[in-house]
Parts: sequence; C-alpha cells; structure tokens
Amino acid sequence: MPLRQTALHSTHLALDAKMVPFGGWDMPVSYPRGTIEEHMTCRRFAVMFDVSHLGTVRLEGAGSFGLLQAVLTNDLTKVAPGRAQYTHLLDPDDASVIDDIIVWWVEDEVFDVMPNASNTERVVRYLGGFDTTATRSVIAVQGPAARNMVAHVSPQAAAVGRFLVERVEVCGASCVVAGTGYTGEDGIEIAVPNDHASVVWDALMAAGVVPAGLGARDTLRLEAGLPLHGFELGAGITPLQANLNWVVGWKKRDFQGRAPLLAEKERGVERVLRGISTEGRRPSREGSVVHTAQGDGVVTSGNFSPVLGHGIAMAFLPPPVVEGEVVQIDVRGAALAGRVVALPFVRKSASGA
Amino acid sequence: MLVPADLAYSPDHEWIRRSGGTVRLGITDYAQDALGDVVFVQVPSLGTSVSKGQSFSEVESTKSVSDIYAPVSGKVTAVNDALGDTPELVNSDPYGEGWICEIEMSNEAELDALLDAAGYSALTGA
Repeated sequence: MPLRQTALHSTHLALDAKMVPFGGWDMPVSYPRGTIEEHMTCRRFAVMFDVSHLGTVRLEGAGSFGLLQAVLTNDLTKVAPGRAQYTHLLDPDDASVIDDIIVWWVEDEVFDVMPNASNTERVVRYLGGFDTTATRSVIAVQGPAARNMVAHVSPQAAAVGRFLVERVEVCGASCVVAGTGYTGEDGIEIAVPNDHASVVWDALMAAGVVPAGLGARDTLRLEAGLPLHGFELGAGITPLQANLNWVVGWKKRDFQGRAPLLAEKERGVERVLRGISTEGRRPSREGSVVHTAQGDGVVTSGNFSPVLGHGIAMAFLPPPVVEGEVVQIDVRGAALAGRVVALPFVRKSASGA
Repeated sequence: MLVPADLAYSPDHEWIRRSGGTVRLGITDYAQDALGDVVFVQVPSLGTSVSKGQSFSEVESTKSVSDIYAPVSGKVTAVNDALGDTPELVNSDPYGEGWICEIEMSNEAELDALLDAAGYSALTGA
C-alpha cells in the first residue's frame, strides 16, 4: 500500500526533512538541525510537529456521550463540553489496550476522538462515527514559549488552556484548538482544514516556531514518561500494567473490558511499567532484558535523554521492585547499570520563556 | 554528501585512510546523515585483534544502533577517546574529528577489495 501523505508533505520536503514511514504515513523524522536540537528547542522554547497522521473520528448526536461513556475506560462526567480527556479503548476479552485516545469534547453533542495513526479503523469499528482524518491537518505547538509564539498568529488559539478545547478561527480558517500534547511541555494542538494547513504552518514558522520531527517527538515523550502504543500499550498490556489506573473510571457501571480488568486488579498485576535511569550515554532499547533482585523484566522504550545526558528507559518489571532499586540491563551482550526512578524523567519547563 | 577523493571506502559505509601499515577509519557522511544524531559510540578496546568483516564497534543514534565492521584485519592501535563525551563529532566532522579508531594491518592486500571515492559514490547514488 502506498504511504499516505499529509497536507504538509511538500512543506516538509521544502524544509529538507528526512522522511520515514510511520503508521502508514510518510512523515518527517527530523529536519536539518537534527533530533537533539529539536528536542532541546522544545524544552527551552517552542517547536511544532505535523501530527496529521493521528486519526480523528467525529461522533455527533444525542447518543454520542452515552456510547463513549459505555465503551471507553475514563469517566466523561469528570469533564464537560469544551474539555479534552485521555482515555483507553480496551479489548472486551482480556482488557488489553486496543488504543489510547484523546477525546476532544468540542460541543455538547460533538466529540472528536483521536486514535493513533494505525488504530483509526479499529476505533471506528467499536465506536462508529465518521473518520475525518483525511479532511484536516493537526499541528502541535509545544514548549514553554509555545503560547507566546502562537499569540503572534492567533491570540485566541494561544489562550486555549490546558486540556480545554475550543473552536477558533486561525489564519481565516475555522479550527478546533486543544490544550493538549505529547511532550510533557505546555502547548496547544490545532486541527485545521487541509486547505489552510500550510498557511497556519508558515505563519507559525514566521512567528519563530521551529519545526520538529517524529524523532524528537519520541525522545520528548520518553523523557515525559508518556506511553506509546505498540511499546508501553498494546496487545497483552492492560492499563493497570501500564500504571495508568487513573485512566480507568471504576465508578462507572461498565466500560468495555471492565470485567477482565477488575479480575486483574483483584488478583494483582504480574508486571508494572517503571522508569529506569541508566549510567552513561549508551541507550538501552526495546526488548532489552532487565535483571532485578525480584526477577527479570523487559525494556519497552529506551533512548538517550538529551536533557539528562544519560540513558533512560521504560520497562515492565516485577511489581515488588521499588524506586531506588539497582537493576542491570542486557544491551547487546553488555551489562548496563540502572536504577528504578519515578516517572516522568524530566518535569515540565517553566513557561513564558 | 561529501565523499573525499583521497579515501578508500567499504560497502558498509566506512571510510579508510591509509598511512603506512596503519589505517584510520570512521563512518561516511552518508552514514552519519542516515543515522541521524549520534548519541553514543562504543569504540573498540586498544590492542584488540580484529578480522576483516568482524563487528567490533557500535554507533548509536537517537533512532537506532549500527554495527561497525572491521574493513581490514589487524590490531587496534588507537581509538578516538573524544567520542566518549562528544559522540556528535561523528555528525559534525565524520572524516576528521569524528574518526573512530586505527588498525595496524596484518594483511595489506585486503585494501584492494575496498572502493574508491567514485565506486562509493556510485554505491550511494551520491
């Protein structure tokens, strides 16, 4: 199957981006300044990502709230129209995370459900709705200076608060803007009709926002301790194993996968996702075995942390393993010393820079 | 991509500079660009004996890890210690400060199998 291209594809090529296949899309992994500099620019200033490869499934109408509330794990009554919520879609049989999703509650009876790129079809299968992915682009502007930069383009968009959702006109286009992101920094995400995507992108560039690719998006989310579907979440992995109990609305009468998840909660999880800080620059990688005094675990994501200057990893470990414990990771035959630490590895930067 | 005319090249994207019975080597501009930002280089240990084609060093970027294969057989007589703290030299100066190690050759005839700049350029389509 040919790779899909976002509406900003030619913009990325003109910026001399290195393109890679990701979730069925041809996406920029980095621009000429490189992943590390893009990463540090997000921590210190402001970058933007083309995340149009994420899906958008629109649910509208009177039954939408009830359907989402009955299927997804999180409790929508904790939020309200004009707010966003992180939630999971579970396998009804074993409570595996089919997808992790951000729901943008745009208006009373209008929801934009945002799955991961490759999971959009599966989400439509369980929730219905219209796949509007091909009609809009999504630009994520992230970093301590993100709002200041966006304010040059649209003060109204810049003012959309954390986890709030609003319809805003940006560069003459009717957009949906949310105070969400995937970097651990403050910022907003702009869903813009495709025909205006490059206008908004160019305006943000002119304001001084630096383009960043999926490479930096991955190192940023890892430092922020955020799970990535296919690594920390997926087949055989429940929200409890991923240490995301807060995503589960236990007070709801039901949600898809509740019974098997409750059974796991009662018997106790067999493994739990933890952070490991490793010595030296050498990164551990997905699949590396972790030796602990309580048994072995496995790395789900590992890389070099540009902010900390050493390796960091997320790993499934036996639940008795506690923070501060020393572990050893097998990295291609070499033993890497590590210590179990609290997530996130890096906390949010002070904003307004 | 830069492909200096005075160097030899391996199909594994290494460059080789000969001086007498010793070669210095590193990865090419093409290779560093493909790898992206280099965050760690496992240089070989001094004195290690290597045979041609053997994986004896690793270069890791934010994206992936790549093996470095010995382009000739011999003994490692020098390694670039600067890469310990500044592996990004492999990106910024692949043919200079980003060198990886030196090997004292045990079989100089192995050099004949390497590519020249034109051959390497043809290989990478540069």
